[in-house]
Amino acid sequence: MAKQAINNIKLGIFVLAGLVILIVTLYLIGRNQSLFGDDIHIRARFRNVGGLTKGNNVRFSGIQAGNVRSVALVNDTTIEVSMLVNRKFQPFIHKNAFVAIGNEGLMGNKVINISTNIIPAAAIEENDLLPTKTEAGTNEMLATLSTTNDNVAIISEDLKQTIKRLNNSAALWNLLNDTTISSNLRISLSNIRYAAVKVNEVASGLNTIVVDAHNGKGTVGSLLTDTVVASDLKKAVGHINQASADADILISRLDSLVQGIQNDVNTKGGTVNTVLKDTALANKLSNSLDNIEKGTAAFSEDMEALKHNFLTRGYFRKQEKAKRKANK
Amino acid sequence: MKGKELKSEAFLNETGAISRFTGWFFHEFLRPRFELREFLRQCFLVGYKSLPLIGLTGFIMGLVLTMQLRPTLVAYGVEARLPDMVSLSIIREIGPVITALIFAGKIGSSIGAELGSMRVTEQIDAMEVSGTNPYKYLVVTRVLATTLMLPILTILSDAIGLYGGFLGINIRGVMSLDLYINEVLNTVVFSDVVPATIKTFFFGFAVGIIGCYKGYNSKKGTEGVGRSANSAVVLSSLLIFIIDLVVVQITDLLGLN
Repeated sequence: MAKQAINNIKLGIFVLAGLVILIVTLYLIGRNQSLFGDDIHIRARFRNVGGLTKGNNVRFSGIQAGNVRSVALVNDTTIEVSMLVNRKFQPFIHKNAFVAIGNEGLMGNKVINISTNIIPAAAIEENDLLPTKTEAGTNEMLATLSTTNDNVAIISEDLKQTIKRLNNSAALWNLLNDTTISSNLRISLSNIRYAAVKVNEVASGLNTIVVDAHNGKGTVGSLLTDTVVASDLKKAVGHINQASADADILISRLDSLVQGIQNDVNTKGGTVNTVLKDTALANKLSNSLDNIEKGTAAFSEDMEALKHNFLTRGYFRKQEKAKRKANK
Repeated sequence: MKGKELKSEAFLNETGAISRFTGWFFHEFLRPRFELREFLRQCFLVGYKSLPLIGLTGFIMGLVLTMQLRPTLVAYGVEARLPDMVSLSIIREIGPVITALIFAGKIGSSIGAELGSMRVTEQIDAMEVSGTNPYKYLVVTRVLATTLMLPILTILSDAIGLYGGFLGINIRGVMSLDLYINEVLNTVVFSDVVPATIKTFFFGFAVGIIGCYKGYNSKKGTEGVGRSANSAVVLSSLLIFIIDLVVVQITDLLGLN
């Protein structure tokens, strides 16, 4: 009798364990399907739901928030999706939140994604119709991939042609096979490095000059910063201006003078014209010059004769002695 | 030709006899007096005593299923879907059917042999003579026990099998128990659990009624007892698959698949 009672207790535990597991499982599944919780009903309209069915998950910013209650055809271009969302999400989902249909992974089930809008709006209410947006689905992705594949094919073809040309280019292969290029390149790089160092030094020197000039050191600095020099420069520039004006006047006068001379030259009978253009006068002058040259030669002979004359010879000797004394 | 006619006649006879036997069960089941004590004893023997065997097979089933599915899912890069596939496979089909087959092997043969030996040793006749209703005492209690205990065994077997699946995932990979349970609960819906649980009542009923029929109508002495036990297992296993096929068709028609 006692054994039967123990057996009955064991049986009771066994049956209860099974029933508890069943009930808990059903409750958890029901809770996941929003059958027992406090939910709010919202709607969204799409042109194409892409296989979305009753029971698919609804996520708000990636968090499980509810599921799809029904998918109904409103007209030939509109499909209305009703969703049950847990009421604890109500304050966070606003009337302007976007509803989109996505995928759970690449090959997973369809899922409704509710995303927030940065523009402020009131929280959703029962039976609200939310705006929708279209996310890139598998078909769109495949279409994009197809375009990418085409582009890759074109690029690879071009690349093939380029490589073919490179392979057939003797100049390039000569260049690549030339072993001296590397040493030349190394030398060039060394020179470039040296030049860079020099440029750096020059830049540094220029920098020093600029700094000195800025601080008023040196001629340039004085020019730029010394107010006395600036004043002097200003005066000098004034004088230059004045001189320039005077020069203008002088040039004008010279111009009139030259003009007068030119008039004199061009006027027949004038002194200048006669001197410059009268050939008879020129001949007379030439004869006169010849006569003077002859006279001078005769005078020179006379003077040489005087040096050897006993009356005047003493005078010339005294002159030479005085000259030698002066040279010592 | 004559042999074929005899076989088909024997098949129809058998079918009719089982149907009458089933009708008799409902007739006796609805009539008082209820053999509660015997019913509880049978529940204990049929349900509680079968738990270790069913639990062990369920655990191995979950573990092996996971380890077999894993390489294929890894090849497709959907290893994360392993809990979904394991849970759906176990809860919808493998759990109820395998549990029912093990149950048929253990309990169907046991009932067939027990009632068969009682028949050939004329204990059932003695009960009739003494005024006790043997059908009510022996058949109704056993059929009710198998009908009610198999669903509970299946639920426990599913739970143990899912735990085996969790261990199977963690042999080669890493997944927390919380994540595993979440994945399972996110995958499984009422339309998976309810039809699978309802069909186990039919499986249990089939195992009980066939076992009792074969044992109750056992003939030809001790040889007949063995034959009853054997044919009870074979026929109840076949019926399990037929019922499963019918239930799948019905759930498909109802849009629950």
